[in-house]
Amino acid sequence: MATDQRTGDWYGTDEAVSRLRGQAFKSLCLGATLLALVSVFVLLLYVANDAFRPLSADIGWLLTFAASLLLPTLGATGYYYTRDARAGETAAIALGLPVVSLLLTGGVFITLEHIVTVYQWASIVVALAIAAAVVFAHGRVRTSADLERFIVLVAVPIAALVLIPDLILSLPMLPTEALALLGSVVVPVAVVVGWFVRRQRENDRDGAIAAGLTLVVAAAGLGLAPVVGLSPFVWMLLVVVTAVPVGLYVESVVRRGAGTAGLAFPVLVAGGVIVGVVVTEALGFAGPNSWLDWGFLTDPPSRTPEDAGFYPPLVGSVMMLLVIVVSAFPVGVGAAVYLEEYAPDRGWWGRLVDLIEVNIGNLAGVPSVVYGVLGLALFIRQGGLGSGTALVGGFTVSLLILPIVIISSQEAISAVPDSMREASYGMGATRWQTVRNVVLPEALPGIMTGNILAMGRAIGETAPLLIIGAPAVVRIAPDSFTSKFSAMPRQIYTWSSEIDAAFQHGVLAAGVMTLLVVLLLMNGAAIIIRNKYQRRD
Amino acid sequence: MSERSIDVDLTRSSSGQVVKERIYKWLLFACAALTVFVTVAIIYTLARDAITFFDLVPAAEFFTETEWFVRGDGGNFGVWPLVSATLIITVVSAMVAVPTGVAAAVYLSEYATDRMRSVLKPALEILAGIPTVVYGYLALVYLTPALQAIGIPVGTFNLLSASIMVGIMIIPMVSSLSEDAMSSVPDSLRQAGYGMGATKYEVSTGIVIPAAISGIFSSFILALSRAIGETMIVVMAAGLRPRMFNFSNPLNNLLSSGQPMTAGMVNAVTSDATGGSATYLSMFALGLTLFVITFAMNLASDFVAARYQEEYQ
Amino acid sequence: MTRDQMTDPDSRTDNQATDGGRESLANNDLEGSDPTTDPLVDSSIDVDKSAAPSGSESRTVIESRDLDVFYDDVQALQSVDIDIPAEQVTAIIGPSGCGKSTFLRCINRMNDLVDAARVDGELLFEGKNVYDDDVDPVVLRRKIGMVFQAPNPFPKSIYDNVTYGLDVQGVDGDYDEIVEDALRRAALWDEVKDQLDSSGLDLSGGQQQRLCIARAIAPDPDVILMDEPASALDPVATSKIEDLIEDLAEEYTVVIVTHNMQQAARISDKTAVFLTGGELVEFDDTDKIFENPEHDRVEDYITGKFG
Repeated sequence: MATDQRTGDWYGTDEAVSRLRGQAFKSLCLGATLLALVSVFVLLLYVANDAFRPLSADIGWLLTFAASLLLPTLGATGYYYTRDARAGETAAIALGLPVVSLLLTGGVFITLEHIVTVYQWASIVVALAIAAAVVFAHGRVRTSADLERFIVLVAVPIAALVLIPDLILSLPMLPTEALALLGSVVVPVAVVVGWFVRRQRENDRDGAIAAGLTLVVAAAGLGLAPVVGLSPFVWMLLVVVTAVPVGLYVESVVRRGAGTAGLAFPVLVAGGVIVGVVVTEALGFAGPNSWLDWGFLTDPPSRTPEDAGFYPPLVGSVMMLLVIVVSAFPVGVGAAVYLEEYAPDRGWWGRLVDLIEVNIGNLAGVPSVVYGVLGLALFIRQGGLGSGTALVGGFTVSLLILPIVIISSQEAISAVPDSMREASYGMGATRWQTVRNVVLPEALPGIMTGNILAMGRAIGETAPLLIIGAPAVVRIAPDSFTSKFSAMPRQIYTWSSEIDAAFQHGVLAAGVMTLLVVLLLMNGAAIIIRNKYQRRD
Repeated sequence: MSERSIDVDLTRSSSGQVVKERIYKWLLFACAALTVFVTVAIIYTLARDAITFFDLVPAAEFFTETEWFVRGDGGNFGVWPLVSATLIITVVSAMVAVPTGVAAAVYLSEYATDRMRSVLKPALEILAGIPTVVYGYLALVYLTPALQAIGIPVGTFNLLSASIMVGIMIIPMVSSLSEDAMSSVPDSLRQAGYGMGATKYEVSTGIVIPAAISGIFSSFILALSRAIGETMIVVMAAGLRPRMFNFSNPLNNLLSSGQPMTAGMVNAVTSDATGGSATYLSMFALGLTLFVITFAMNLASDFVAARYQEEYQ
Repeated sequence: MTRDQMTDPDSRTDNQATDGGRESLANNDLEGSDPTTDPLVDSSIDVDKSAAPSGSESRTVIESRDLDVFYDDVQALQSVDIDIPAEQVTAIIGPSGCGKSTFLRCINRMNDLVDAARVDGELLFEGKNVYDDDVDPVVLRRKIGMVFQAPNPFPKSIYDNVTYGLDVQGVDGDYDEIVEDALRRAALWDEVKDQLDSSGLDLSGGQQQRLCIARAIAPDPDVILMDEPASALDPVATSKIEDLIEDLAEEYTVVIVTHNMQQAARISDKTAVFLTGGELVEFDDTDKIFENPEHDRVEDYITGKFG
């Protein structure tokens, strides 16, 4: 190149040649990037097509929905994109939040239906409330006994959790299930809502109103739910898990006054769906014969593709996630706190810590199938837990995602500015006080993001489940952590060995689509939390 | 201001406070130390059962013979067919992922506008977040028939489509790690290149890539280690039939099924073999081999990456 | 050395033990023995204050003897000897990298947070070597408040910022009253009294720094250390902080590091000049330092020949 330039005039044609090569190189790089993305997304479109089979619908059905749903949505998207980016953001969250919280409602429903009964949950809540009262009272009576308070803080809740729930469950008279739910789920949520609103608005009255409103609307379900064809139980869950976050978000957007136009978007979508349904019903257009429908989500697996469902694996995945949340997250965040806040970086102790960090990095690269073998040896053959149970599956996958949780939490913690720590230490705070009061609250959004992404990884893991003996087919949803379970990816693997095209291009596609939608929502939630948090800085 | 006491007490705060702090510190340390326990447990459990395996099957058979077949609890356990399938997968997936990943990294780091990057990077992240069981399904149900449709005579289970899928799966890993390495090349080097009259192409290929080469290399090693350990794609798309590498017709190996080491492990545990039999225990021997290989590769990648960090920090 | 001296004070052994009682502190408060109980800050500027040569009569609160500090192998302070008087403003000036911040951070053992730091010699606070094995740095920092270079309020409400020290130190009392008192003394009360629940980060830079000062004085420490507290602020905010420091010196011992010589001359009673290499070259009444320093190097520095 350099020799070329010496021969010609400085503005000669050489430049065109070099630019051509540069352009070609740039297009090649862009092409490679897009190739990877497009190939996978095209394949996923095929999967979506197989799962939903939109073309099996009447042409009239498709046209109706195109007019009632697709066009308005596209129009609104175009408007937000070109005119009002702020509202577009609101629109994305306003549509995504109800969907994510509905998903969460489903998770809570499954939990209360199969894993802990409402009564068990209520008794736990009562036990914790009693424990909190005792700890608080002790703090009031004995203000200076530090060690004693610490012991009380640990011992009382444990004692309460061991003793009180059984006592309550053995009571001869228990309130109805709906009342128990009202007391143990709705009331705590209402208190949290009231506290949250009070803090946001700096106004006691608004807090009380918000709490009261939550309570009243949820309690109204006792009478109103049958009218709309829901059980009071589902009504309350919908109010508490779906309506409350959505309501708080809408309220905050309205108060902020920016991007309110975005709130129209979910209304537009819901309206489009309703209009579409009403019109197609009236005109008698048949909808698509989707593999992925309500029946698929609520039925057990079957050898006949038309009857096959996904419900037991869904429950299994929820159970596994619960185990992971309880086991991997506290340990992972604790390890990250130690490594970032406590660990010395010199001396032989410092070298030991270096070793731990290198080890964590390497554990993140150990194949998941090896973790499966570890789980098998550790929990089943040594620990004596039953093979293929949700507990073992959860523990095994916990070990697998532990390095990811630690590394992402470490990043979040090290992003907390040192000036915050210095300010706290300078005030005479101890290390733990600094961690609890300053570092963790600041790092929380980052830690949450990392943990949700790690959960996404966990929910798709298959190989360890094969090794620890999760059964190929589970027809009845597991009802305890020690019964055999299947998870979504495990069931997908089972179906993949069916040769029937109805399985390969139907049931499997529906299962894969379900898994991907759950994952996409989780990752989307994580990314929204991350963006909100980054913007604040 | 209150009257000053001359003998201020600067010694310990209340003993409760000190004990509490210690308890928290050791609790948190225990969390961190648990990771070491995990490593030790992996090595211990794998090694213990692998040793039992070698009591039943001579090490010479495992390491030298070229036939692996399982019949009930017994069989012949020569590891080479599995190793050759793993190698094929690794090499072919590297051929897919390395050029694509590096090109994507160059584009993202040197060429992409902010807006482009804000679209492409999350898209690649999504790619990295797709579960491998989904990739396996894509390979089995869509990619293999597509390959057959364009006239490549692959079987229902074949190493080619599994390798391509593994390659696609590790692209985000190569691209994001390589991009990190490239963006940590100091701008002053680029400026120097432009100052000498170099074009963007010359700066990218002649300055940035060489300067970031150890970071790029470490991303290759990590990604290949990921490919070696990948299980679900190969189990679903490559099949469970061990086959020794056919030297007389190398291309044919790609078109037919094969059983890499990870698939061998799954096969051992999902077959009807009884616990303690040679078939069952072969899982631990394979697992140990796999663990040693991937662990060594991760360490090598750390080592290479540490070199480039030294250069520019 | 490990970073856990916060909780493990006994791990530090590299200093000579001193057995408390030094004669030099026997002199009782000669001035201010009847401190004004009125917390109200009257922010009129006492122009002549810096001219008042009061240093010699005052009790010594902090004294260092032969204090060396190393960061790994680099020596940051060289056998520093200094007696810091009570209830006065002592300024520490010097070119950048001269160890003035290091010295400040030795006083309340903030250097413990840096693994590489090693301290030799004695640093006595009220006659007790703070590097003795039985000294808990957490307790020490509760007696010695600190204000940092850049304002660093916590991302909490103004109220919670001020009560943070009370919370972590387990102080009982009427928090509302303490908060109001601290904010008044920091000359911030009137500006924020209607927004105590809003975030401390919503304030302007100068207000944030005054909030940090309020936070530091709320638990009623004996000494306040300030590490270039006005360097990140605009001139108006700076002058408010300077007024505040002079007022604080009526009740607290203030040690302030600054790179701004005019500032030191304006607000301090005593001035210590550190020069490159971590050496304390001269320590005397501020007037003396700025009008007639003993050492030529100090004169060169003050007249701007280097630095």
